[in-house]
Amino acid sequence: MRIGDFRASYRHDEALFATPVQRLWFALFVLGLLLFPWLGGSYLTYLACLTGIHVVAATGLNIITGYAGLISLGHAAFMGVGCYMMAALASLGVPFWLALPAAGAASAAVGVFVGLPSLRIKGLYLAVATLAAQFLLGFVFREWDAGTGGVRGVNVPAASLGGIVLSDDARIYYLIMACAVALALAARNLFRTRIGRAFIAIRDKDISAEVLGIDLFRTKLLAFAIGSFYAGVAGALMGYFFRAITPEHFGLALSIFYLAAIIVGGLGTLLGTVLGAAFMTLVPEALRGGVALLSAWWPNAMALLSPVREMVFGALIIAFLVYEPHGLVEAWRRVRRFFHLWPFKT
Amino acid sequence: MDWNAFAEFSLIGLLSGGLLALVALGFVLIYKGTRVVNFAMGEFMMLGAYGVYTAHVMWGLPLVLAIPIALAGVAGAALLVERFVLRPLAGQPVISVLMATIGLGAVMHGGIDAVWGGQNLEMPQILPRKPLMLGDIMIPGTALWSFVLALAVIAALTLYFRYSRTGVAMRAAASDPITAYALGIDVRRTQQLTWVFAGCVGAVAGVIVASMSSLSPAIGGVALGVLAVIILGGLDSIAGAIIAGLIIGWLESVCVGYFGGKARDVVPYAVVLAILMLRPYGLLGSRDIERL
Amino acid sequence: MTRRRSIVQSAAGLAGLSALGVPLATALAQEGDLVIGAAPPITGVFAFAGVSLDQGLGDYCSWRNESKGGVMGRRLRYVSEDSGYKMDQAMAVFKKLMAAHKPPAFYGDSTAWAKAAAAEVSQLGSTITCSPSYSSDLADPAKAPYYFMAGPTYAAMIQILLEYINRISKAGKPNIAIVYSDTEFGRDPIPAAKAHLAKLGLNLVQEIVTKPGSVDVSAEVAKLRRAKPDYVIFHGYVLAPIPEFIRQMREAGMGATTFMGTIWSMDKSTADAMGATGDGWMGVMPYRYSHDHKDAPMMGVMRDYAQKKRQIAYVNTFYTHGWLVGMIFSEVLERTLKARKPLNGPNMKAALESITDWDTGGICGLLVSLKGHQIPSGRIYRYDAASKLFEPASGWIRTA
Repeated sequence: MRIGDFRASYRHDEALFATPVQRLWFALFVLGLLLFPWLGGSYLTYLACLTGIHVVAATGLNIITGYAGLISLGHAAFMGVGCYMMAALASLGVPFWLALPAAGAASAAVGVFVGLPSLRIKGLYLAVATLAAQFLLGFVFREWDAGTGGVRGVNVPAASLGGIVLSDDARIYYLIMACAVALALAARNLFRTRIGRAFIAIRDKDISAEVLGIDLFRTKLLAFAIGSFYAGVAGALMGYFFRAITPEHFGLALSIFYLAAIIVGGLGTLLGTVLGAAFMTLVPEALRGGVALLSAWWPNAMALLSPVREMVFGALIIAFLVYEPHGLVEAWRRVRRFFHLWPFKT
Repeated sequence: MDWNAFAEFSLIGLLSGGLLALVALGFVLIYKGTRVVNFAMGEFMMLGAYGVYTAHVMWGLPLVLAIPIALAGVAGAALLVERFVLRPLAGQPVISVLMATIGLGAVMHGGIDAVWGGQNLEMPQILPRKPLMLGDIMIPGTALWSFVLALAVIAALTLYFRYSRTGVAMRAAASDPITAYALGIDVRRTQQLTWVFAGCVGAVAGVIVASMSSLSPAIGGVALGVLAVIILGGLDSIAGAIIAGLIIGWLESVCVGYFGGKARDVVPYAVVLAILMLRPYGLLGSRDIERL
Repeated sequence: MTRRRSIVQSAAGLAGLSALGVPLATALAQEGDLVIGAAPPITGVFAFAGVSLDQGLGDYCSWRNESKGGVMGRRLRYVSEDSGYKMDQAMAVFKKLMAAHKPPAFYGDSTAWAKAAAAEVSQLGSTITCSPSYSSDLADPAKAPYYFMAGPTYAAMIQILLEYINRISKAGKPNIAIVYSDTEFGRDPIPAAKAHLAKLGLNLVQEIVTKPGSVDVSAEVAKLRRAKPDYVIFHGYVLAPIPEFIRQMREAGMGATTFMGTIWSMDKSTADAMGATGDGWMGVMPYRYSHDHKDAPMMGVMRDYAQKKRQIAYVNTFYTHGWLVGMIFSEVLERTLKARKPLNGPNMKAALESITDWDTGGICGLLVSLKGHQIPSGRIYRYDAASKLFEPASGWIRTA
């Protein structure tokens, strides 16, 4: 138990940042995010933008899979829906602060539709259904030339706020980070409410939840809707970031990437999502650095980078599942617990 | 309506369905034995094909030796997988095991890519190529013989499970592990054997696929299309896998014939969604009864 | 519990250490070098093409440094990283190399990448780019100002084939079928090809699309066979599934059908892989082949260098392409530097467009003019299974 941390009211107990120390850390974190483009340089800013997008999408997937227990292998396709919707709106001149929610809404609608089978099936079968949806949506992306530009893809005009055009990595970074922080806090808040607890109840034992009066079908569809909303916003942000979108961006590999991110990070925790997304984005970069180092001795090392990256990805998933099933969050909590009573042993 | 064209597409489809049934058999074996859907099946297929390539083309051994050596290699890999990936995760929730097989697939795919490279390699000709002409209809030799081979393997396995001691023990352990333990069957051994069989079935399928076209890491993609077969047939039914394989093979071929190659992208997954909505356990699958 | 912790800790430590490799690698660079960045598809579907491309481009840079001291006294430095033929990976490599080195020249990995990066390249205005793509959209100096291609467009290549078919078919309208892959690369020239086919009055009897990476094409071949084409044009493939198509068609008794392809399927390794069925395989190639260096001094130089450096006896078309791209990059850099202009997009574009009647040392048969950001010439070759070589089946044709 933490010393001196007394919760005197329910409100205090449920607060997102209950102690002054937590508030301070969060303020420092936000300050760090604001200053990052100046301190980090252009390539690190690029990576940070990518991480921010991944955090938003992974949060959505964690809501569906981690909190509500519905395995979804089609998350990348929902991102694609959001992205193409945003592209269509942006080409009509709709500003980003309207296009992003609209993209999320479109994605939520598709997510609800894909989640309809959850009425009859669950677990593995639902996973396969979402996998089928992923491929079918991918087919639509590739073939519907009028709507999505087909295999050629679409070019997205840069987002603009007032007169400022967000054409630079450093500028779009702020948009992405603002969305990521806002949506992450919203997700954390969701699980203080009745809806969030209903999701957790469904994950634990859905038949019991139904007995307790939770409308299973509506709640499951709501989980899909909210999670897909996040995916849609992430996809739209990806569109503003890459500016040239093709269906290849939203394939099965990305869905699996997000599943891996939330498992490595920790299913059902928000900090886990952030840690997992950051970890999975940065590991390939560290790997590239390592292989570049190796190529001083072994000239052909760089040619093996792609296969080695894939092997490391798979090995990480298996290693975390076997050795650290609760993810990076659990490792982080162990470290924190160690320091709570330091120098006394726990 | 050109009946000859329809007959040709149908026949080719049914024959390729035999191969799909073989791969589906690999999935069904593992699901029956260990309640795991093995998303790494495509990679086992690749391993078998690359194994035969290495033994026959790179080391120069005759096919009669190369194929058993490759199968032995795949069996060894399956044993390692069962011991180090699946056994530690026994009893874990579905998502963990699913992601573990996906991760396993990534490791194997990356490993094969690293060792053999990503380019197309020419497999030796294992199946006779002479086509069968039925009037106007041409059946490619490879399609015909792949069907025959697949059917032979399926028949052999079915007979094994029906009549041999170990086969019956595997079926017993699959249907009720606790009772099987009580009767003295080593359930852990049967699970290892299940993985070995599934791996070898995948390897044979991989060799057939590779010799029909060319050897490349793309072979693993066939396994995703087989998902439709196992969903249609039922995740734990061998007979279902065979029937569903033929149906899906026929459907895919006819759709390609009339709508073009893009149908291969749509047909399997549309079937999956339809089946899951209408009859989730497939044609012959057994219902999951959940108890509180 | 302690063992698990130590494993995780040591893994984290290793990961942290390996991240140090990045600044170390860049520290070994030298000032004043002209960096040529590249994201070739060294792994993935087009791996064997990508590996040779990478070698060709890199070898040209080293040869140029060794024999001529670089470009205007500045050494060429070739920095490449695998793209795996995946668009997002190629973009990541592009962004990384641009951030780290700001190369004045960059070589991408595919049609998809080139089209996607076109907007960013235009906006950056600092780099001239090329890639294995010969898409017609990219040969437009207005839409893609900083892109060039080392050959004619895919549409122009198919046009050459159609004109050839039209010329040699004396009796009646020949039946033509087009087989292409369902990728950006494959679909690019098809509308223009169909239009030109109609213009020439030829008969399109079948249009077959295959899924990229598909292994079982029996149904597609059955469909093709039923259309009974006299000529089949393949586009969008490097090797598979062409051999399977040809083998099955020949086994079905269609020995009279001629099979043709476009540049990327015209390599000797592709044709060799087809064995006896490859006899008569035809297609368009903008370059000479490695064995044809009688009147082509640069082909000989390239061969000797490849032999010396990599013990390669026969230089394939992808290596030739890489070498030629290196030549063009160097020529553009040299002309810009000679005019004492800063190395930016507009100046290099002007330098590129000033390349007219340029002698490529025999790699291309005619003198090259890059005013339209492409090399609008090529030759039709036919593969002879007996000698295992491609022999010219026409003279050098100008397409634009």
